[in-house]
Amino acid sequence: MPIKVLITKLGLDTHDRGAKVVAHRLREAGMEVVLLDTFQTPQGIVDVAVQEDVDVIGVSCLSGEHLRLTPRLMACIEVEGLGDRLVVYGGIFPKEDIPRLKEMGVDNVFMGTLTGDIAEYIEGNVGSKRSKQIA
Amino acid sequence: MSEVETERLRRAYAAKAKRLKTWSGIDLQPVYSPRDVATDYAADLGDPGQAPYTRGIHQDMYRGRLWTRRAVVGHGAPEETNARFKTQIEHGVAGLDVICDTPSMVGLDADHPMAEGEVGLCGVSISSLEDMEILMAGLPLEKISTVLLPGGTQCPVVFAAYVALALDRGLEPSQLRGTISNNPLHLFFCGPVGKVSNPLDMALKLSVDIIEYCTRNMPQFHSGYSNAYDMRESRISAPQEIAVGFAEEMAYIDGALQRGLEIDDFEPRRSIYFSAHTDIFEEIAKLRAARRMWARLMDQKYGAQNEATRKLRFGVHTGGSSLFPQQPLNNIVRVAYQALAAILGGAQSLHCCSYDEPVAIPTEQAQMIALRTQQILAHEAGAANVADPLGGSYYVEALTDKVEAEATAFLDRIEQRGGFLAVAKSGWLQDEMDAATLAFQDEVEADERILVGVNAYTTEEEEETPGGVFRVSADSERLVVERLKRLRARRDPDALAGAMARLRDGAAAGEAENLIPAMIDALRAKATKAEIGGIVRQAYGYSYDPLGMLENPF
Repeated sequence: MPIKVLITKLGLDTHDRGAKVVAHRLREAGMEVVLLDTFQTPQGIVDVAVQEDVDVIGVSCLSGEHLRLTPRLMACIEVEGLGDRLVVYGGIFPKEDIPRLKEMGVDNVFMGTLTGDIAEYIEGNVGSKRSKQIA
Repeated sequence: MSEVETERLRRAYAAKAKRLKTWSGIDLQPVYSPRDVATDYAADLGDPGQAPYTRGIHQDMYRGRLWTRRAVVGHGAPEETNARFKTQIEHGVAGLDVICDTPSMVGLDADHPMAEGEVGLCGVSISSLEDMEILMAGLPLEKISTVLLPGGTQCPVVFAAYVALALDRGLEPSQLRGTISNNPLHLFFCGPVGKVSNPLDMALKLSVDIIEYCTRNMPQFHSGYSNAYDMRESRISAPQEIAVGFAEEMAYIDGALQRGLEIDDFEPRRSIYFSAHTDIFEEIAKLRAARRMWARLMDQKYGAQNEATRKLRFGVHTGGSSLFPQQPLNNIVRVAYQALAAILGGAQSLHCCSYDEPVAIPTEQAQMIALRTQQILAHEAGAANVADPLGGSYYVEALTDKVEAEATAFLDRIEQRGGFLAVAKSGWLQDEMDAATLAFQDEVEADERILVGVNAYTTEEEEETPGGVFRVSADSERLVVERLKRLRARRDPDALAGAMARLRDGAAAGEAENLIPAMIDALRAKATKAEIGGIVRQAYGYSYDPLGMLENPF
């Protein structure tokens, strides 16, 4: 079974170039990708994650809304019982915010232009989080 | 010195130019000579101020007046943006560009459930005439040139609010100078906003309403510009940028002609918004080629008689996608080269990005450096003294020809497919843009393209942003939402209902009625931006709320 990844925008941010590139790259790496490139609420994202039973939730944020919307997204993830899924972020973030996102429950944050390490990270970590939760 | 260090030094010393193409991929010769230039001076170049304006639209260029040194400003509540305006003016900015926040871009009021947590983050929050009053408090509208940058179909409402504010201050619309972005069609290519909140038919109709209103009432105001800049951000080439910008502009022109306006009456008050990326020579060639193409296009396709119609005016915004979050201070250097290219290319106005834009909303200091970059160019670098200083350079002339040929070919391909609206609807242009995005990515990841600090000359990543991070306070959102609630509570329901009914009837009349006056009346009856947008949306068969979450209360 290929790793199944949801790539989504969060909130009203409309910069979708990065999300498209990452979706393309992960498909090239053999993953199954569901791309949501329209406005998404935290609940809407989690509903799709449940429906599609994805292993990874990849969130694209470029308009500075990450600190305000992430707690809501993580709460929905918790409520719907998806705490064992990998949550990764990509976009524009001040470096100072990365530890804060991780405290909120985001597993990793990618920014910059190179995408090579994203697939590698997902492959290396997707299983461990699920087995940790099961144990 | 260790062996590794010796080898590193040896390699650095012997390094040579790697990518022997322009940024857009045009192959280059080692050197250019008269044999590579086929231009006829009188027919293809002309002196500055002479057709086909390759060398510039003014005879004396920046000796007559410097380019307008602009700064894009907008964050938080209107009063916060108003304060930042005043700082910028104090430091010598010559034109203010007001950018609206993401909820505004999507067509939502600040108190929309989906706007929660996003108000004022990437621009200023404007939901009502009252917000516009606060935004422009203390600024004499008749003396300054303001550029309003709301997104998409919200343009006419924000424009109407600006006119309504002028009327409330006892001014005539004819006294207003400035520009409304009024380029909703390109938003179709800007992610979800195009898909959800910016239907093309309604967008074009309202856009032509603004053009018509300005042409008839506001002779000093610019009725809009086509946004080649945003399209280039997808990483299409410099020639493609010209082609898509012109294709978008031709859609507005065709709409205005169908409305019964004359090309020579409205087109002189419109312009194109270009980007400037870091390949200096290609960007200069792009801007020169664009002017020549435009003069011929206006002449041959539209039969323009007015010289002003044939003169391509453009603003330049340095390329956001050419800045990188790694080693962010390097972006100061990139922006300086981009700005130099814009000025050597003859721009009428320029906005420089702040170095921290790939990281966060700019700090005041970062914005200051961006403005100072322009002032150094104007006063120290000698860039403003002579018109078209690179005219006659074998390389620049040959590259100008090459860019023009590629841009013309791409514009032809768009035209053959039915023009801008047709290639938007068919998905063809989006596919071209997506392919460009991925091709660039491949080249960077294969190290065919060197991006300093990104895939070469990398260092340990910084843990902090040099210069700090600007934060929009969550209090701004509370402030604007509370104010909007108070506005809704104190409206006269009958006056509001009457104004909305007139707007609805006007919208139902389609092309027969220009909606700007009805929008001005509705704003004065304290209708909000999204309410006005919603009424018009319904008349065109779309949901009242762009996101389908709210019901029409009228």
